Amino acid sequence: MHLIQRYKSESIVLPVFAILVCVFLWYLIAGKAITSEKIDDFGDKVKVTKRAGLSADLPTPVETWTASKLYVTEPFAKRGELDQGILRFTWMSLVLVVQGYFIALVIGTPIGFFLGLSKRFTTAFDPIIQVLRPVSPLAWLPLGMILFSGVKIVNGDGRTTFGASDAAALFTIAICAMWPTVMNTAVGVRAVPQDYLNVAKVLKLSKSKTLWKVLVPATLPYMFTGFRLSLGIAWLVIVAVEMLTGRPGVGGFLWQQYNANSYAHIILCILTIGVVGYVLDRLMSVVESRFKTA
Amino acid sequence: MPLIEIKGAAKGYGHPGSRTEVLKDINLAVEEGEFVVIVGYSGSGKSTLINLISGLVKADVGMATISGETITGPGPDRGLVFQNYSLLPWLTVEENIALAVDEVFKDWTVAQRKEHVKKYIDMVKLDRAAHKLPKELSGGMRQRVAVARTLSMNPKVLLLDEPLSALDALTRATIQDEISEIWRQNLTTVLWITNDPDEALLLADRVIPLLPTSPATLGEPILVDLERPRDRKTLNHDPKFKKLRTQLINTLLDAKGRMKPKTSIKLTLPDILPEDLTYVNSLQFLNRAGPKRRSDSKREEVEVAV
Repeated sequence: MHLIQRYKSESIVLPVFAILVCVFLWYLIAGKAITSEKIDDFGDKVKVTKRAGLSADLPTPVETWTASKLYVTEPFAKRGELDQGILRFTWMSLVLVVQGYFIALVIGTPIGFFLGLSKRFTTAFDPIIQVLRPVSPLAWLPLGMILFSGVKIVNGDGRTTFGASDAAALFTIAICAMWPTVMNTAVGVRAVPQDYLNVAKVLKLSKSKTLWKVLVPATLPYMFTGFRLSLGIAWLVIVAVEMLTGRPGVGGFLWQQYNANSYAHIILCILTIGVVGYVLDRLMSVVESRFKTA
Repeated sequence: MPLIEIKGAAKGYGHPGSRTEVLKDINLAVEEGEFVVIVGYSGSGKSTLINLISGLVKADVGMATISGETITGPGPDRGLVFQNYSLLPWLTVEENIALAVDEVFKDWTVAQRKEHVKKYIDMVKLDRAAHKLPKELSGGMRQRVAVARTLSMNPKVLLLDEPLSALDALTRATIQDEISEIWRQNLTTVLWITNDPDEALLLADRVIPLLPTSPATLGEPILVDLERPRDRKTLNHDPKFKKLRTQLINTLLDAKGRMKPKTSIKLTLPDILPEDLTYVNSLQFLNRAGPKRRSDSKREEVEVAV
């Protein structure tokens, strides 16, 4: 009992302590506003505020909070197209991520199955996959713009609801997030125990039954590991995509605030992106662990 | 005409140059309704032999027939019970058996099939575990499910590949009695493979030693004319049983004594532990190696004759 209590309190106290240390370091580096009185050329006393510190433009933790308060306390407010609550921006990003992620899974899983099932398919496509896999989202986006330059869906008011940049964004997310799903599915299919395949053979299961009753369930744990990693990448890519396309969203907001010299909001965005990514990962690993026992 | 017949079969693995001959001159005839047990050392080619009949392995030379027809592949007329149970872990007991029944009796109604599945679950006394997953069952119960699944296909012959080797001795005795009882009631043909001479003599009408020569071949069959039902308690003191036992063990030991050199043979161990998923990452994929299963395989020094 004693031990459990100690363990529990440690698991809260230690992370809090580490966070405080980091915030303190941040405070040390951050620029501080120093106000001094000066007599100007006309002989009047004026207050002059200067920022000083290791990184003079970096806001301190307190300044960050003061500047971000409005966005956090009213997370769903919409004051203007580019001035919205942080969760509202996050939601926009998430919607795009989910769409791209879905495309990635729909394309990636079958490719993974083909790679796992056919040696010839692997030999043929492995070099292409290995070359495309490390390409950065920043490089894919312009290609997407060119590929989908003709895409334009207009609603009744003549406003474009889905344009080339939207298509390019989806394309970029999908193609970047696809690879972990492809890889893990392929590994999973290869790792299907020969015993299960023998069972299918001895029972003379049809091809489709072998696929759905044996191969897919046996591969599921691996597929979900891939799905989890893919979601992480999709969330990484969204920021880059939003910066480049200027879409409203948490990444777009970050870039726009940088251009507006409002640096406190950048930190707010980074923290939001991190927390959301963490939550997504946890959610997926809950789903994943449900399939691991299989 | 015997139900199953193998004539002059031989089988080896590997490419020319690094080839290992596993079996040669295999001649075997199993009559309908007979209980035949083949005894041999681990790694001496027992599984290969049974797979020649199940159709999972094709003989290099010679031929294998069932009811006079050449065996070209696996089929539901030969029910194979695997050493490691090979139940699908994501299906319940009922679903595992239904998978076989649905495939074999496609033209039956749903109710008929359900009834059939239930009959075999009851036969192996698992009606209370029907909706459990294999991981919730003990080793003995899993093997009973595997037997039920195989029997539910109404096979002409029941092939069992070391079905009890992954069980503890006490559970093993129980299941031996159970399967022996099932055989007596259903009068199916059984071909059982084991590495346990006592198990062989307890169950069989006829015991055939698989001599560990290299490549292995079948020895003279030993007729077990002990009365049924056999009681394992009194059997140990039965002079006839003792004589047969000595004869069988001597045959196997003599054959083993004639060989000198050792070789390393890859053994696939029973799949009891779950696979280890911590190894999955994309680098493994690049190396063309799948994740390790803890219970996968190990190399073991096994003696073979020249």
